[in-house]
Amino acid sequence: MTEVITKQEREEAFAMFYGMAASIGELADPAPEMTDEERVERAKEVFLKGIDNNVAVQLDACLHCGACAQACQFFIGTEDPKYTPIHKLDLLKKVYKRELSPLSWLLKPFTPDITVEDLRNQVELVYDSCTMCGRCNMVCPSAINIGDLVSLNRSAMAAAGLAPAELRYMRDGQEADGTIFGADEDLFMFRIQDIQQKLGFEIPLNKKGADVLLMTSGLDIHLFADATGGAIETLHHMGVDYTLATDAYEGANFGSLSGYDATKKKLTKHSTEAIEALGVKTVIVPECGHSYPALRFGAAEAMGRPVNFEVMTVSEYFGRAVMDGRLKLEKKSHPKPIALHDPCKVGRWGGVFDEPREILKACGYDLHETESNRQYNFCCGGGAANFLLPSADKLKRVGYRVKMGEIEAAGAEELVVSCGSCRMNFEVGKVKAGDSIPVESLAAIIAAHLPKKETVEGDKV
Amino acid sequence: MTLLEFARGPALQWAAVIFVIGMLWRTLGLLLMLRSRPLSKDRKKGLAGAGVKTMFSRFLLPKVFAKRVGFQYLLGWIWHVGFVLTVFFFQVHVMFFKGLVGFGWPALPNSVVLPVAAVSLGILVILLVRRMTNPMLRYISNFNDYSSVIVTILPFATGFATFTHIGVLPYETLLALHFLSVALLLVWFPFSKLFHVITVLPSRYILGVKFWRRGVEA
Amino acid sequence: MTKTDLTLGDRLQARGVSRRAFLKYCATTASLLALPPTMVPHIANALESQRRPSVIWLSFQECTGCSESILRSNTPSIESMIFETISLDYHHTIMAASGHQAEEARKIAMEENWGNYLVIVDGSVPTGNMGYSTTAGESNIDTLKHVAEGAAAIVCMGTCSAFGGIPYANPNPTDAVAVSDVIKDKPIVNVPGCPPIPAVMTSVLAHYLAFGELPELDHLNRPKVFYGQNIHDRCYRRPFYERGQFAESFDDEGAKKGWCLYKLGCKGPTTYNACAVLKWNEGTSFPIEAGHGCLGCSEPNFWDAGSFYNPLSTATHLDAGTVALAGAVGVGVGAAAGAAARSQQKKIKAAPAKAFTPTKAEEESQ
Repeated sequence: MTEVITKQEREEAFAMFYGMAASIGELADPAPEMTDEERVERAKEVFLKGIDNNVAVQLDACLHCGACAQACQFFIGTEDPKYTPIHKLDLLKKVYKRELSPLSWLLKPFTPDITVEDLRNQVELVYDSCTMCGRCNMVCPSAINIGDLVSLNRSAMAAAGLAPAELRYMRDGQEADGTIFGADEDLFMFRIQDIQQKLGFEIPLNKKGADVLLMTSGLDIHLFADATGGAIETLHHMGVDYTLATDAYEGANFGSLSGYDATKKKLTKHSTEAIEALGVKTVIVPECGHSYPALRFGAAEAMGRPVNFEVMTVSEYFGRAVMDGRLKLEKKSHPKPIALHDPCKVGRWGGVFDEPREILKACGYDLHETESNRQYNFCCGGGAANFLLPSADKLKRVGYRVKMGEIEAAGAEELVVSCGSCRMNFEVGKVKAGDSIPVESLAAIIAAHLPKKETVEGDKV
Repeated sequence: MTLLEFARGPALQWAAVIFVIGMLWRTLGLLLMLRSRPLSKDRKKGLAGAGVKTMFSRFLLPKVFAKRVGFQYLLGWIWHVGFVLTVFFFQVHVMFFKGLVGFGWPALPNSVVLPVAAVSLGILVILLVRRMTNPMLRYISNFNDYSSVIVTILPFATGFATFTHIGVLPYETLLALHFLSVALLLVWFPFSKLFHVITVLPSRYILGVKFWRRGVEA
Repeated sequence: MTKTDLTLGDRLQARGVSRRAFLKYCATTASLLALPPTMVPHIANALESQRRPSVIWLSFQECTGCSESILRSNTPSIESMIFETISLDYHHTIMAASGHQAEEARKIAMEENWGNYLVIVDGSVPTGNMGYSTTAGESNIDTLKHVAEGAAAIVCMGTCSAFGGIPYANPNPTDAVAVSDVIKDKPIVNVPGCPPIPAVMTSVLAHYLAFGELPELDHLNRPKVFYGQNIHDRCYRRPFYERGQFAESFDDEGAKKGWCLYKLGCKGPTTYNACAVLKWNEGTSFPIEAGHGCLGCSEPNFWDAGSFYNPLSTATHLDAGTVALAGAVGVGVGAAAGAAARSQQKKIKAAPAKAFTPTKAEEESQ
């Protein structure tokens, strides 16, 4: 691997970036002024639009057994009853019972309408204390999709003008210029050129008709250049006809995490149109958890029609390449046992489990699985943009502790993760907890295990 | 009309009528609601099969949750099996269903059903106490939760009292109370969380399909 | 000395009944009534010295089965002689007189014993068309009312007079009622059964004679001593019930082995009577011992309490038709609820979105 960013550079960038991230709430524009009636009306509209037959059946299947609490790391870490996942759907249930349930004629008189107070109390429940990781989905005897329905709650909160200032800031920024943390085209170009210089070959940009488009994210541009660099280096090594694009480089979608559905749709639509204009067959989304489902499952929804390009995440693309022999990695000796963190959005919500494991195997790592792995994996503790919420600091630490507890129990001395915000959260958590376990990017690991080649076809130095 | 005549007659009749109407009302109402369909490509094939698989795989608890949820899962399991055995395989109950549908089926000996029913009743009481004392459960519980457990306990309690002639009340009063408690259960059933009997399997199917679409076994 | 002036003691002596046999009868009566042995001399004394009270037996809508039963107490038994201890002045079936003479006898008995005579009724009282049942041109209800007026007490022999019985059964074409529905101001003892056990009938009379008052009664005015326990609790087949061993048909192995008849519709658990203890025909047997379930004949409405052959644990009013009807209604309500939810969903989808549009405050500021 060619080092595109030194450890020291990364740590400095990290410190700066973390300082910036901590103050974004103060930078946010004031929330739109709304009367209480408007808030309730708008939240209810979102709820009602989100309830279809499937949701109704699932809400009617809840037994209040409380099993979901035992799957949730925020409950496990705090034992606070209000963090019981299903409790977070109480408002949704109320609206459903009153307005849409087949029994609504009967239940309406016994079901009070939701109030603006309910909505305000709900904010902590669906933002700070839930990363929509969906682990509760996996324990529920009725298999209720609590994670997704919390997402619907976030949409309702956003519609009611109650989304946390930090996420409003992120969303407003991306609504305005399509990217996050001010990683605009200039900064993107700067970073690409920087990487290009370090890697020593030309990175194709806006190449129409290329096979593969590689996306990145504001987080990687600022901070985790090793992830982007690793992916580029590997693509180049494989001799893939790939490109990056100046109008489709941002994989993150803060419309999705903040609950601003319109923004989410707009951003995805923008990327999709750019991708289609390029005519690539496959899009690799960066090591950024939510960018995977946002494009993989969101593109067709945003366009209102199926799309005909493949979407893969970094670990999935390279893992497949390893599995079918297109990518040979050099087995090296790694005496330290390693643990793999399955990011929720890519793992439980994306089905990418085998690919990263194949990569680690090919690299010769001694993988120690945490007790909860694959679809039962614990969240890093700060997913779904929670790593940006200072109000959730305590809960993030709690979540981190639960996760790290499993990693320690697995005897791992190193952690590999394929998601920038998980990584971010691990790094912050480590600092706060005084842990020292190294956290690596999977893309960077791949690049570090590329076999040396004498000459590579099409290599222009 | 004596209490027993009322219980065996109009009470059960009306309860059954309400039960049938309520069950169909809620089931059909749910069935007819609009469903949104995803437009994106599925990551895996065989969605229906995966949905069916989840319907059954959720009867078992994934090992990773065993430590924290195992106890309640086990209680739930024993309770449901006990409920089915008691309701459908107790001799006297088989007679009831035979009177209703015109045919019977082999019943289990009393020496089996009675302990099973006792265990089921015990578990229900444990679950109720647990709901009242566990801070998390107490926090999320509402009227529906408490009433549904109590309404389910009643037929068990009165059934035991009737069969064993426990208590100061004469047999026909106990039998009448047993019938009335069943009537109450029937009336309560479609409108409470007891309706999960209908929704649990479809609900699992829904998540099974949703997750398998993304390539995950739910 | 007229016939009625003789005491029982006199009459017994006249008939050659030994003192020993009489005391034995008194002891039997005492035990039937669950009285302590110390009461035996009291009963003997009372019966011996008692003047024969006048008894008027009224038969309304009945089958004479109760009379048959009371007469069926085996002869010569002391029980049959109890009829010698009372002056049965009026009884359709067994009195020698007929027509006007019979009615005349009743009138004389009433006049001579006004306020003191005992009325026994078998049969229910029709309240519909008075022509349904009359005696000498007088409707049953009129007869009952004016005979009851001078009575000391009324004993309803059999389920018909006690609870309406078979004439009262659905659809009750004669609008039959029980005696207690007509007479409200006299002490009434119900001795139900179809028919009642002979010894029970005679013992109740003996109690009245011995103590000058009616025995202790339950909520249905039945003597507690005979009707205080249900058949089931005293049934010799009870252990099979506990073990869950039931006859499934009248000729299967279970029936042959004498297993419990619950599944064949036995009403023993809800029937309060002394059949399982006293039995019938001089303690020979009773219906369950003969292999048939109890019909519950001494209980109110026994004829309408579902089939005799349906177990008690079955519903009586539930049938496929009711369920089908409910099903149809349910489908209708469900379809309506579903359609309502659907149109609500469509309405919500079609309505212009309010979320993420300018708020009122924002509109005003612009």
